[in-house]
Amino acid sequence: MDDRQKYIRNFCIVAHIDHGKSTLADRLIEKTGTVSKRDMSDQLLDSMELEKERGITIKLTPTRMFYTYEGKEYTLNLIDTPGHVDFTYEVSRSLAACEGAILIVDASQGVEAQTLANAYLAIDNNLEILPVINKIDLPSANIEVAKEQIEDVIGIPADEAPCISAKDGINIEQVLEQVIKQVPAPSGDENAPLKALIFDSYYDNFKGAVCFVRIVDGSCKIGDKIKMMQTGKTYEITEVGVFTPNMKATPELKSGDVGYICASIKNLLDTKVGDTITNAENPTSQQLPGYKEVQPVVFSGIFLVDGSKYGDLKDALEKLKLNDASLVFSPEVSKALGFGFRVGFLGLLHMDIITERLEREFNLDIITTAPSVSYNVYTTSGNMLEVSNPSTLPPVVEIDRIEEPMVKLFVYTPPEYVGAVMELCQDKRGEYVDLQYLDKQRVRLHYSIPLGEIIYDFFDTLKSRTKGYASLDYEISGFQKSDLVKLDIMLNGETCDALSLITHREKAYARGRGIAEKLKKVIPRQLFEVPIQACIGGKIIARETISALRKDVLAKCYGGDISRKRKLLEKQKEGKKRMRRIGSIELPSEAFMSILKTNDDED
Amino acid sequence: MDNKQAFGIYIHIPFCISKCNYCNFVSKCDSKENIEKYINYLCEQIELQSVFFADKIATSIYFGGGTPSFINEKLIEKVLKTLKKCLKIDKNAEINIECNPNSASKQKLEHYKNIGINRISFGIQSLNDECLKIIGRKHSRNQALKIIHLAQEVGFDNISADLLIGIPNQTTKMLKSDIKDLINAGVKHISAYMLILEKGTILYEQVKGGLLQVASEDDSVNMYKCSYDKLKQYGFKRYEISNFALPGYECKHNINYWDMGEYVGFGLAAHSYFNGTRYSGIENFKDYYKFVEELKFKTNSIKNNEIKQNYSNFNEIYSNFNKSLCENLTKEQIIEETIMLGLRQAKGVNLQKLKALGLDLQKEKKEQIELLLKNNFIKIENDYLFVTEQNFGLVSAIILELI
Repeated sequence: MDDRQKYIRNFCIVAHIDHGKSTLADRLIEKTGTVSKRDMSDQLLDSMELEKERGITIKLTPTRMFYTYEGKEYTLNLIDTPGHVDFTYEVSRSLAACEGAILIVDASQGVEAQTLANAYLAIDNNLEILPVINKIDLPSANIEVAKEQIEDVIGIPADEAPCISAKDGINIEQVLEQVIKQVPAPSGDENAPLKALIFDSYYDNFKGAVCFVRIVDGSCKIGDKIKMMQTGKTYEITEVGVFTPNMKATPELKSGDVGYICASIKNLLDTKVGDTITNAENPTSQQLPGYKEVQPVVFSGIFLVDGSKYGDLKDALEKLKLNDASLVFSPEVSKALGFGFRVGFLGLLHMDIITERLEREFNLDIITTAPSVSYNVYTTSGNMLEVSNPSTLPPVVEIDRIEEPMVKLFVYTPPEYVGAVMELCQDKRGEYVDLQYLDKQRVRLHYSIPLGEIIYDFFDTLKSRTKGYASLDYEISGFQKSDLVKLDIMLNGETCDALSLITHREKAYARGRGIAEKLKKVIPRQLFEVPIQACIGGKIIARETISALRKDVLAKCYGGDISRKRKLLEKQKEGKKRMRRIGSIELPSEAFMSILKTNDDED
Repeated sequence: MDNKQAFGIYIHIPFCISKCNYCNFVSKCDSKENIEKYINYLCEQIELQSVFFADKIATSIYFGGGTPSFINEKLIEKVLKTLKKCLKIDKNAEINIECNPNSASKQKLEHYKNIGINRISFGIQSLNDECLKIIGRKHSRNQALKIIHLAQEVGFDNISADLLIGIPNQTTKMLKSDIKDLINAGVKHISAYMLILEKGTILYEQVKGGLLQVASEDDSVNMYKCSYDKLKQYGFKRYEISNFALPGYECKHNINYWDMGEYVGFGLAAHSYFNGTRYSGIENFKDYYKFVEELKFKTNSIKNNEIKQNYSNFNEIYSNFNKSLCENLTKEQIIEETIMLGLRQAKGVNLQKLKALGLDLQKEKKEQIELLLKNNFIKIENDYLFVTEQNFGLVSAIILELI
């Protein structure tokens, strides 16, 4: 091994949400003097406002640090990873860029669902795992139990695990020393053809799409012709550099390095996470393993409260897409909501983040329709349609069968809640696969369950039924035939397309009744009586009625101050504008949200 | 008289003996000197500003407040004289003054009569002493009935009374007997307003602090309905949502507002509307005095014949003084106001007038109008679209359907 690579360590930090990943990253950066204390803001690597606020990491941010150990200066590349199940693939690619992973376990919480899921991901990627016990400053910290769990549940030794408090900066040096001692140095061939793994990318207005890379073999510099092996496209490098953590140009990147490559790439879609970059003139014959096309699994219609601003929504989604290649959307027209987009997401958190960013960063008032999954619909004519929008489901007579996406669901819970969790999973049409005692305090339940069932308030219900102790993890496992029907909601005899949803036949009745009741509560009284009906293929299964408005507030009109009166009127008109008109009925935007929160438990 | 020449005049008297618990109008109790100072400025404003309205004929003059009856009647006379000196006043003009039962007196009323005032509106609000106390009025039921009697004695016939609906502890029964007693006392016109809790008033704080409870919306609406039924029994007609009168006693001044007619307000916090612009009043004395000084300076610097009949000169002076007080209405806003103010009146909105403004309502809102007609919410007769009697309570919702 050459001398240069001997002093490089590439590592990441994995943890369950809230176990202190970003805080530890900050302490490492501070300890190594990478960023002066003056410039430290809380959770440096979470740069988005939303990330800071919710304490989650959405985008990856790598950092290069220097640390002198036993007289030698080491280059430590830390690759921060998103912690949520929606981003499993992105996590796996950033893990693939490292040789080691710090596994944080909260001394008071112990091993949690994502601790395990991420630990397994790291093991799958052949990483050296360094357990670290965090939050030892908490009164409820139990270091011994945490260590036992690491050994019993994950099966790695924990006796040498540093016991730290990232918050108070206790024992941070021990972590750095462990990284240097335990994480293997990179062992690529500097003279071989270029092989670089894209583990993330983002769009820069001046530089174009920027690839975050780990150089596995070879080297690259400005002017080199490169080729994306997945897309086959070639580019000329305009800049290479490292993360300090700000991007800083360097003359070249060599095997073992973590850095970035710019090559006037116009479209983020051409920098696919997991793809291999090679030299176009001296290419490698073999791609790096593990590339996967990211597929959205949850779909929802996004519309604007003020339909006339459709263009703004389009611009906003396009801007978000520049930095989030996994976001997919296509125009959708709803009779009730007008022009909008059907947007595909990696999962519910992803959906949450995108909708929140649309509202916050782009100041849009949006209406989101109930999330749906993508169904495989086989028609009697022998075609297969992918249907992610309930209103595009073909008529019943043309459908041969419908298959729905299934997931492998793991729920981690203390034993006393096993009954409650099993009941919930059964309610949600889950099929029991197995149950495993991970230790005395922790059971892992494995279910095969339709994805469509867990996108409706499954997570919230799980949390409330287990007093917050259970956590979950899932992965898509395939499609399965199911008895699904389209549930329509009619208002004053007219179907409101934006309220339609696809559900299992046995659940349709309860669902329809729940939605009708909810709508009755959120739709204000109108000048006329409004019947609300839930129906399946023309058969009415539930009915509610909103009685007509009988009274009105009379406001006085002071002297000549008609401006004031008009302002009141304009305010009312504005409120009315926010309503959606369906036939003669006005629907507040909450009506569309409310069906998200209806569930079978509510009576 | 040519309709285009007609306009209304509003005079604001921002003084009261004390602030009522529900009031957020501009008014205060002040020294004799300060009141005289204000009247002097007011008269100066009238003199300076009247050049802009030289071609206009006033069909109504309305002294409002505050409490116009609180100040010396000679000062009212002075203002009225100034108006008559500077502006053309129609010989049948309705000249109204707002009076409070406790500050008006036989002597004052006689004086008003002598100087040509022909309509009195009394701020009665309630004839229930407990209700009066809650809202902080300084008069009693007996005083109220007595002053109405005195007004008739000195020769007033056109007498109006304000009533409040929704005072804490007020009942339908009280309202009905108030109406009966007022009409028996000789009142020809009643304005019935719902009590609105305004921020910054004593009542607002009392309700917020849980000391008092205001009537629920349902109760208020119910009280309104009962009041109307009672008024109908006595031959009163509802010509506007809050205004009821015996035939021939409708308030001309207010009808002019609701018909989108022009009017000019003089004094502190007085609003105006002419030539498509709404002017809000200046809200504090210091600024108001500054404005009158500026008006003097500016009008002196322009030659008189250039100013004449030229609204834009006034607009320039006023918007230079405070741009936020001027609102040039767009065509859409004028249409909106025409519909809003029209539908609040029993006669409704004139469809031809809307057409002249560029809106064919029946074509533009075809669907809504058909649905409303079918369900008997509205009717169209002789080019007027109006809300039916039984659905008058829904007028706000109906207006929103049609704008």
